[in-house]
This record gives sequence, C-alpha cells and structure tokens, in this order.
Amino acid sequence: MKRKWDLKRLIFNISSLVDLGQEVTSSKGYNEKMKTTLYVVTGMFSVPKAALFVYDSNHHRLELLTYKGLREIDGISLYIKARHTKTFNKNEPHTIDEIRNNSFYEHNNNAFKKLHTKTFIPLFAKDEFVGAITLGKRLVRTSYLQSEKDVLKVVANQMAITLHNSSLFKKLTAKVSENKGLYENMRHIYHDTIQAFAAAIDAKDVYTKNHSYRVARYAVAIAGELGWKEKDVEGIYVAGLLHDIGKIIIDKEVMNKCEELSVMEMSEIKKHPQISYDIISKIRFPWKDVAHFVRHHHERVDGKGYPDSLQGEELSDGVKILALADAFDAMTTDRPYRGKLSLFDALREVKKCLGAQFDGKISNVFFGVLKKEIKGEIREAQIIPHLDKDFDPTVINTLLEGITAELSA
Amino acid sequence: MNNFSISVRSANNIIVIMPNGYVNDLGAEKLEHACEQFFDKGLKKIVINFSDVQFINSIGASVFTSVVQKTLEYSSVLCFTNMKKIHRDVFDMLGITKHVRVFKDERDALNFLKDTE
Repeated sequence: MKRKWDLKRLIFNISSLVDLGQEVTSSKGYNEKMKTTLYVVTGMFSVPKAALFVYDSNHHRLELLTYKGLREIDGISLYIKARHTKTFNKNEPHTIDEIRNNSFYEHNNNAFKKLHTKTFIPLFAKDEFVGAITLGKRLVRTSYLQSEKDVLKVVANQMAITLHNSSLFKKLTAKVSENKGLYENMRHIYHDTIQAFAAAIDAKDVYTKNHSYRVARYAVAIAGELGWKEKDVEGIYVAGLLHDIGKIIIDKEVMNKCEELSVMEMSEIKKHPQISYDIISKIRFPWKDVAHFVRHHHERVDGKGYPDSLQGEELSDGVKILALADAFDAMTTDRPYRGKLSLFDALREVKKCLGAQFDGKISNVFFGVLKKEIKGEIREAQIIPHLDKDFDPTVINTLLEGITAELSA
Repeated sequence: MNNFSISVRSANNIIVIMPNGYVNDLGAEKLEHACEQFFDKGLKKIVINFSDVQFINSIGASVFTSVVQKTLEYSSVLCFTNMKKIHRDVFDMLGITKHVRVFKDERDALNFLKDTE
C-alpha cells in the first residue's frame, strides 16, 4: 500500500515539476508568473498560506511580491542584512524553529506571525540571494520528509532562477525605457538645433523668413501622402530645414538684391546647393539621403536644373518633393525682385511647369494633399496654415479638381 | 486560455458549487472567492460537485487547499461529491480530504447536510 502511495506521490511531484516548468517558461507577466509558481509549490505540498518575496539589496529588505491565503499583509517586508543571508543553506527549507535564534528572525518576528510562517526557504540563483518563500502550516503533517525537502530544493532552485531572470529582465526593460526617453530627449534637442540652424539661414535673407521651415512642412505633407515611413518623412523634414544652409556663405547683398542679377551673381547664387551638400554630407544623420536631397533641390525633371543637370528618373522622389516644396514656397512669398503670387496663380504655375520643372506624380500628390487640407480632411494640416488666408477655398478646390482630373486623364 | 467556470445553486442554506473544466491556473481562484463570499454571508454548508471537472493540477490543488483552509477558519462544513478516482487520490495524498466530507454523489451530501446543524 505504502509503495503504491509513494508511486502516486512521485507521479504527482513529477507532473507538478512539469507544471512549474511550463509556468516559468510561459509568456505571462512577471507578477502573474511568480504568483502561479507559488501556487504550484503550495499545491505540491498542500500549504494554504504562503508568500514570495524578492530581495532588495539597496534597502536590505525582502519585499512582498505575491502571496496566497493571507490577509492584511499588503506592503509587508522583511528586514534582512547581507550577513543573515550567509547563514542560510541555499534553496533549502528552514523550519521557523531553526531560524528562531537568528537575529533575522528577531527583526521580523511580527511579520513572520502575520505570514503564519512555519517554513522559510531562502532563494539563491547561483550564489546570489534573490528572494525567499514563506510557507504556512500544511494540511497534512507539519514537517517535511527528507524526500519532500529534496523536491522543495529543486523547486526553490527553479523559482530562484526565474525570479533572478525576471528581475534582470525588469531591470533591462526599465533601462530600455530610460534609454528610449533619453533618445527622445536627444532627438528633440537635435531637431531644435536643426531648426535653429534653419532660422539662422533664413535670417540672412529678409525675404525668406521661415522659408526653410515651410519647405520642410510642405515636403512632409507630400512624403506623408505618398506613404513614406515615419523615419524617412523625418529625414525629408530635416532636408527641408537645411536645404539652403549653403546660402550662409553667399554674399548678403546679392541675396537681397532687388534688381536683376548679373551672370556672376547668378552663378554665385547657384553654388548654394553644392555648398549645402558639402556642409551636410559631413554630418552623420540618422536619416538616409538628407545630403542627396539637399544637393539636388534645384534640379528639374527636364534636366535644366543645377548643380548636376539630372533629369527624369535620375531624380529620386525625395529630390522631386523638395524641389516642388522649395519652388512653391518661393512662388507664394515675396521676393526682392517680385511680389508673391496668389495661391491660385501659384498652382497654375506649378501645373504649367509639369514635366519641365516639376514631376507629374509628385505634383499630383501635392495637389491631392492640398485638396484634403482645404476640405479639412487632414487632422494636422502642413500646407494651409502657412499660406495667406485670402484665397477662396471653393475656387481653389475647383482648380485642383480640374488639374487632377486633367492629370489622371 | 482559461477553460474553467463555476455554477452555483442554493437550497435550504446549502450552497452547491459545480466547477467546470480544467482546474489548472489562477482562473480557479474564483472558486475560492465564491466560497469565501458565502462564508462571509454566514452560509456554512457548501457542496462542491466535481462531475464536470476534467483535470486538476498542482495549481488547482493549491486552490483547494485554500478553500479547505477557509472552511476551517469559518468553522464550516465542506462536502466533495462525484469525484473521479484520480482526483480523490491526489486530494487524499495532500491531506485535503481529511478536512472535508466526501460523498459518492450530491444527493448523499445534501441529505447529510440537511441533518447537520
């Protein structure tokens, strides 16, 4: 009879160890996983009251992680010094009588009573003290047979490793989150710095205040509508902000001249995309193609642009976007040599230059996004807020409908 | 995925709880909470009918140790009925059945409790 029971006990223990293995490798959250493992232990040894603690070495405390069958113990913790942990046998059950003379017990006498502790198991992952389990009275005999102690040790060892791994994972997650926060901060600082640069570029030319910012916004609107990835959109935004950085070394007199520019002066002005490129290409941006976009923002699809006279498919979508955004802003703002065009006239001008200065596909997307903004279909408008408000939305909408219908025909 | 539920009936101050499914995760705690609520309300006779219990593992066994503990604390009477042999053996081994009355079927338990003060 006894042999039959021993066999049943053995089978139950093995299947419980399987339960434990499944729980510790499950994808459950930390707290739920640890609570379930505590239930496995208490189920194996029929213990109605138990608690699991995690060691906080900074505060010399065993902090309550989870428990079962106990009342009014939330927030309970056990004071423990490093020297106390050295008196324990690793992952072995200690009866409360065995530790009663230990100053660890004296410090936590009341807590042990509240926890109904009969057995204390210190948890060690290798040599590191990581936590402890307190077990109350069992429903069967109070003491543990040697064979049960052996099983408890195996279980405690597994729980210690799980606790250790989970706490490492928690620390790692916290670190990742902290680093993410730092990265976001740095990103904001980076953006602010670039924006300050853009303001410095635009400040040189009285007529182009906020030009870079608007170009960046228009480019974002088009790239977003084209379905670009968030990171790529961010890249073209930065390219928009910095595309005219080369103007920093162009003579201010030339840039603000009201009269027609001489060939020499025009040649001087035309150097700015190359200079911008020379500056930008030295910076290791986290976004791809910024320098490339900047270099070619004065190229045209008919190959009559500068500095490299690229044409058609030689131009990337990013270049075509930036070229359109730059020219559109130039059209809709005052310049030293001419007054700004109305939105209506600017759009007609863009249409007129399709296939020569501007790319058809990109321009069509631009018209589409502008139409959506006018209709209020876009939550965060990027173009309309920067335009004069004196246009008639119905007229512009009709114009855009006509252009897009013509383009898709 | 929790494949466990309970249904409750009551008659003459006797509560009959029928757990259903797999008693193998923390979802089984609802059984413990239900018993505690009845004890708190002064209902001290509970029958747990195991007819529809498919499987009990160590986590489930842990829940039953808590139910038994609460029964002792509230000086109540707990009866188990319709248990499969495999579950009975585990509960015997864990000492759970030392603290409850085990009956072959629910009617026997109800008859017993009817005559119990």
